[in-house]
Amino acid sequence: MLIFRGTDWHNGLSPEQMQQVAGQWMAWFKRLTAEGKVVAGNPLEREGKIVSGKNGRVVADGPFAESKEAIGGYFLLNVASLDEAVAIAQECPGLPYGARVEVRPVMDQCALSGEALPDNQLAEATA
Amino acid sequence: MDANNEYLLLFRGKEWWNGLSAEELRTTMEQIKGWFDQLEASGKLKAAQPLAREGAVVSGRNGTIVADGPFAESKEVIGGYLLLQVDSLNEAIAIARSCPTLKFDMQAEVRPIAGECPSMAYARQIISEQQFATA
Repeated sequence: MLIFRGTDWHNGLSPEQMQQVAGQWMAWFKRLTAEGKVVAGNPLEREGKIVSGKNGRVVADGPFAESKEAIGGYFLLNVASLDEAVAIAQECPGLPYGARVEVRPVMDQCALSGEALPDNQLAEATA
Repeated sequence: MDANNEYLLLFRGKEWWNGLSAEELRTTMEQIKGWFDQLEASGKLKAAQPLAREGAVVSGRNGTIVADGPFAESKEVIGGYLLLQVDSLNEAIAIARSCPTLKFDMQAEVRPIAGECPSMAYARQIISEQQFATA
């Protein structure tokens, strides 16, 4: 899984530049999808909540806008190794503007129980 | 604007299973399985996977900086995700609140899936405002 961090990369860019970078990002997604390397991906709205505490009793706003750490989106990759996933991450068009990409292997089994997780279309996706 | 009413849940926290007795572990695993079974039966669960506690963080102009990460001990590490299809953010939040591992100091981030990159939408808005201003 590629986790795109940084929702402030557009700061200092003109709107035309923002559109250009966002356009590059979409083209990158389309190309990877056509190559069969991406099985899913989405941008996230810059809003949401953070739930915590026993019974989820704490529901807080998150710092999802304009933050270096906030997650802006993700890709789910279908590649053979972490190295390959890292190589793809290095192509991210947001990198020159301060975005970072966290690269994490996906497991399709719960590490604890060894049980297969619920059946879903992404069960074969590994990164 | 929510795309297809999809929401991403990201679970953060340490390895909550550390330090639990075998009994507590078994009970919690049953609760988790029950939670997943219920979600699946409801048709609201589109995908769910754990993430291995290893990987890399890529940064720098051409992604030339590749650091090991994240660190397993950190509370901030994303341990897994769920992709839900529900009618509202409140419903996604309710599902997050019912996760059996929250009591072990886990945190669930609930985010609506966007129909397009918010920066793209923002740029378009600025451009149309500029055009309006100079018209």
